[in-house]
Amino acid sequence: MKSLSNTKLGLLVLWPTFWTGFPLKLVISLLLLAGGLHPWEGTGLKFLLLLSIPIDMWALGLCARTVLLERLHVEPQPGFGVRLWWQWALFSILYLPLLYYIVGAVVATAQSLSASIIEFLKQNVVTIHIAEQITLDLVLWGSVATLVLLLLLGGWFFGLGALVQRQVRVAVHKDGSFQDMVSRWDSLRVPPDQGLLLTAFTGGGVVLSLIFWGLLPVTTPHPHEEYEYTYVKKVERPVHPKEILKKTKKVLAKAKSVIEELEKKKKEEKKSKKTGGDVKISPKANQGKKSPPSLKSKGV
Amino acid sequence: MNWKPDTVNQATAFEKVVDFIDERVGLKTVQAKMLNEPVPGGSRWAYAFGSCLLFIFILQAVTGILLMFYYVPSTDHAYASTQYILHEVDYGWFLLSYHFWGSSAMVVMVFAHMSQVFLWGAYKRPRELIWLVGLALFGIVMAFGFTGYLLPWDQRAFWATTVGVEIMDKTPVIGDFLSRFLKGGPTPGQMTISRFFVIHVMILPATLMGLASLHLFLFRKAGPAGPFRGSPEEIKAKTDYFFPRQIWKDIIAMASVFLIVASLAFIEPVELLEKATPDPGDYHPEPEWYFLFLFQLLRLKIFGGEFGQFLGTIAIPGAFMELLAALPFIDRHPNRDIFKRPVALVSWIVVMLGILIFTVSAILNREFLD
Repeated sequence: MKSLSNTKLGLLVLWPTFWTGFPLKLVISLLLLAGGLHPWEGTGLKFLLLLSIPIDMWALGLCARTVLLERLHVEPQPGFGVRLWWQWALFSILYLPLLYYIVGAVVATAQSLSASIIEFLKQNVVTIHIAEQITLDLVLWGSVATLVLLLLLGGWFFGLGALVQRQVRVAVHKDGSFQDMVSRWDSLRVPPDQGLLLTAFTGGGVVLSLIFWGLLPVTTPHPHEEYEYTYVKKVERPVHPKEILKKTKKVLAKAKSVIEELEKKKKEEKKSKKTGGDVKISPKANQGKKSPPSLKSKGV
Repeated sequence: MNWKPDTVNQATAFEKVVDFIDERVGLKTVQAKMLNEPVPGGSRWAYAFGSCLLFIFILQAVTGILLMFYYVPSTDHAYASTQYILHEVDYGWFLLSYHFWGSSAMVVMVFAHMSQVFLWGAYKRPRELIWLVGLALFGIVMAFGFTGYLLPWDQRAFWATTVGVEIMDKTPVIGDFLSRFLKGGPTPGQMTISRFFVIHVMILPATLMGLASLHLFLFRKAGPAGPFRGSPEEIKAKTDYFFPRQIWKDIIAMASVFLIVASLAFIEPVELLEKATPDPGDYHPEPEWYFLFLFQLLRLKIFGGEFGQFLGTIAIPGAFMELLAALPFIDRHPNRDIFKRPVALVSWIVVMLGILIFTVSAILNREFLD
């Protein structure tokens, strides 16, 4: 049976696993963003982590199975993906916070050491300008932190590799030519019915696009403070039927009194005409009124 | 006698349409030629970068055309029309933000594609011309970013262009002409915005389409290079046609690119600064993020003074591009395995680390400016 180191095996499994699950997690993240939730905090994060569990189970099982067939010529036992996932999840829950803590401590120490070195150099050896200082500082603490991070990531890969090796010991050895192995792991990844796959993929794409379009805000969620909208929505006044009726009654009563007054005036004018009194027309009465344009002058 | 329909020979309406078109344009031949290309060593995710670039360009063209329905390329209206797109056009904020992040995605993808070709040794004989046309396409992508950056006409746009044109001015012989032609006056103004707009929406897309077609034609002529490692038996066993495996990988990669760009449009949507004025005020001029490493490099003491500026802006980047162009003619050894080409591997790591370190330095440098 062929063999691989734990670290290499862990990396070989983890790299494709990440990229297999990544597009699906991206879909979830984008839908959360369109719905106004941040996938990196609060409810959004909980939702994303929850949905990531079945995705990771599937991706880890598929990718590890492929690597074992291609590289070690073994077929793992049924239920391999789920078993490997929970063991790896347990290991990661313990290991990743430790990694985070160690890297954080290393970064803080390296930054303070780097600042001391630069200060010493500036005071005793050479003048260092701002741009040079920034880059030197970054390289000094960044290289130490990167090295520690890579070493610790190597430990994480080693852990996963060791878990996979445990499954390899109970796996079934598969004989066959390289061509056989290739077609065996290839058929794991590519379903034989291409038409069905294409239809499912297109259908899924259409449904997700519709959901995305439905959630997408029509106008910007981040308006500029000083932007003045050209379209200002009219303020709709609330309707109070009783007040409207009251007002209408008042208007009608006023109109009635005006009409009555006018009629009274008319009667008085008629009376004065009959008795021979003069009616004076104020010159202001016609001021500001334009006479209608003559149709003839327009050539009609 | 009972008549029964001949179900075996009866073609569906769709098949009839396909046959009709095939008879006239040779559809099936084109389809076979497109999909049945053998991929030595089988499909790989690393081969998806080129397809992703084409996909991003198509989406940039679509979003760009939609934005042009509202954008006005004049100093009086460029800022206001961009703000109008962001605030009042239905989904305008998303289209503009997608277009903005799409340009960054294109630059990242060009770097990824060029790195893959370099590390795989796929620029070597007989693929020298593919590499050269690819380099020209790289220049076009950068020019897209530079010309598009001015169009919103805010402080960021104005000052990034001012700095960019000043850098261009330092080019020997043609620098003065180029900067005067692009600016069309002593400071960026109406002529600048008109010229940048025409270059951005007409000249560059037409050039890119022509060069991309040539790139693809040359690629199909030479065929894919395949993996740089593995015995002939292994490569033969894994060799496959372009359809279905590589097509599926390309589709997944393109979908992922769309999802990432769309997510970035949500996380960091385009927000304009104040309208462009010849007075920078509190604003510290800065180019787009992919030029930041060069900008930071120019802040180093070694690149101070007239000669230092020429060295940092023109001589070193120019020499680097010339070296890349000459690469297939210098590196003529047939071995493509990157682990047996230590100079190439170390050079690539140094360049990538340099870009990363100086880009981060430029970001950290902002604290010292405020």
